[in-house]
Amino acid sequence: MELVRRAIERYVPLSDTDWSHVAQCWQEYAFVRGAHVSRIGEVEQHFYIVKSGVQRLSFPHDGEDICLGFSYDGSWSGAYDSFVSRKPSRIDVLAITDSVLFGIRYDDLQRSFNELPAMARFGRLILEELLVGRTTREIEQLSLSAGQRYQRLVDRSPQLLQLVPQKDIASYLRMKPETFSRLRAKRS
Amino acid sequence: MDSLQLIADLSKTLRQQIDRTNIIRQLPAEALLQRPAPGKWNTVEVFEHMNLSSGVYLNGLGSEFEKGAGAFSFNSEFKPGWLGNYFTNAMRPRANGDISWRMKTMRMFDPPRNQGASTQSLDRFVQMSEQFIALLNRAKRTDLNRLRVISTLGPLVRFKAGDAFRFPIAHQERHFQQIERVLASTV
Repeated sequence: MELVRRAIERYVPLSDTDWSHVAQCWQEYAFVRGAHVSRIGEVEQHFYIVKSGVQRLSFPHDGEDICLGFSYDGSWSGAYDSFVSRKPSRIDVLAITDSVLFGIRYDDLQRSFNELPAMARFGRLILEELLVGRTTREIEQLSLSAGQRYQRLVDRSPQLLQLVPQKDIASYLRMKPETFSRLRAKRS
Repeated sequence: MDSLQLIADLSKTLRQQIDRTNIIRQLPAEALLQRPAPGKWNTVEVFEHMNLSSGVYLNGLGSEFEKGAGAFSFNSEFKPGWLGNYFTNAMRPRANGDISWRMKTMRMFDPPRNQGASTQSLDRFVQMSEQFIALLNRAKRTDLNRLRVISTLGPLVRFKAGDAFRFPIAHQERHFQQIERVLASTV
C-alpha cells in the first residue's frame, strides 16, 4: 500500500490524514497471466496502479490485436477512457504475466476528489500527464521513421524489450514483426 | 433425507465457504497467485474453476425455478437420484482426508483455457454462493425430487434439483480442501 502513496506523492504531497482516508479505498487485485484486467464492452470500474507484472492494452482489428501500450511496475493501468466516461471499454487490458494491481473504484476516487483538495489536484495532474503522453505518441507515430520509433522505445522503456512478446512491441510501434527483428538485430 | 434439514445443511456449508473466501480475499495478492508446483492451479484458478462448474448448476436451477417450481408443492422428503448421489459421494474426501477419486478437469472448466482467473473470481464466487442460498430458500416451496436440472455430465444427464444443489456444493467443499493445501504449501 506504501506503493500507492508513493505513486500519488510523485504528483502531490499527502498529509497522513488525507492518506488515511484514501488508503482504505485501495484494494489489491491479482490476475493470472492471460486474465483480463478490463474487457471490451464492459465499463471500467477501477483505476489501477501496477505493483508487479506487465499488462497489455489492445483492441482487435482485422484478426490482429492492435497494441496501444503497456503498463508495468509503478505505472497506471486499466481502460482509463471507459473509467472516466462510464461507457463500455473499447480496449482490452490483459495480464501478460502474473500481475498484482492496486485498484480504486470509480465512486471512491470521485469522492476523494470531492473531499480532498490534494486528491483533486492529483486527478487533474494525471489527466494532464495522460494528455501530454497521448499527444507525444501521436506526433511520434506520424512523424518518426520506424528506426526512430524503435530508438525512442529503447531510450524510454528498455525493460519492455525483456518483458513483452516481440509481436506486441512491433504492433505498438506500428511496424511489421520482421522490421522490428531487423532493427533489433542491427542494434545489438 | 429430510428436505428442510438438507436445505439447512447446504446453506450452512455455503455460508462457511463465503466466510472463508472473504478471509482468503484479504491475503496478500501474491499468495493467491502462487502455485504449489509448476503447472498446478493457484488459489484464484481453483475459485475460477468452481465458478465455471457451479455456474452450470446455478443457471440451470435458476431457470428451472422460474419455469417449473410453482407446479410442485413442497415435499418434506428428498430421495437422491442414483447418479446424483454417486457423484456427490464421489466428491467427499475419505475419513483420513485423502481425495477418493482424482478426476481430470473437463476442458470447459479449466480456467487457463477460459477467460483466466483473478481475485475477481473470488468476488464472483461469493455472489454466486449468495444466489445458491437464495434459491435454497425458494426450495422450501417446491419438490426437489420432481424439479430436474441439467448437469455437467452432459446434455443427457439431468439431476434432481436436490442433487443439483448437493453436487456443486460438495464439489466446492472438495476444492476448498485443495485451496487450504495450496495456501499451506506456499504461504
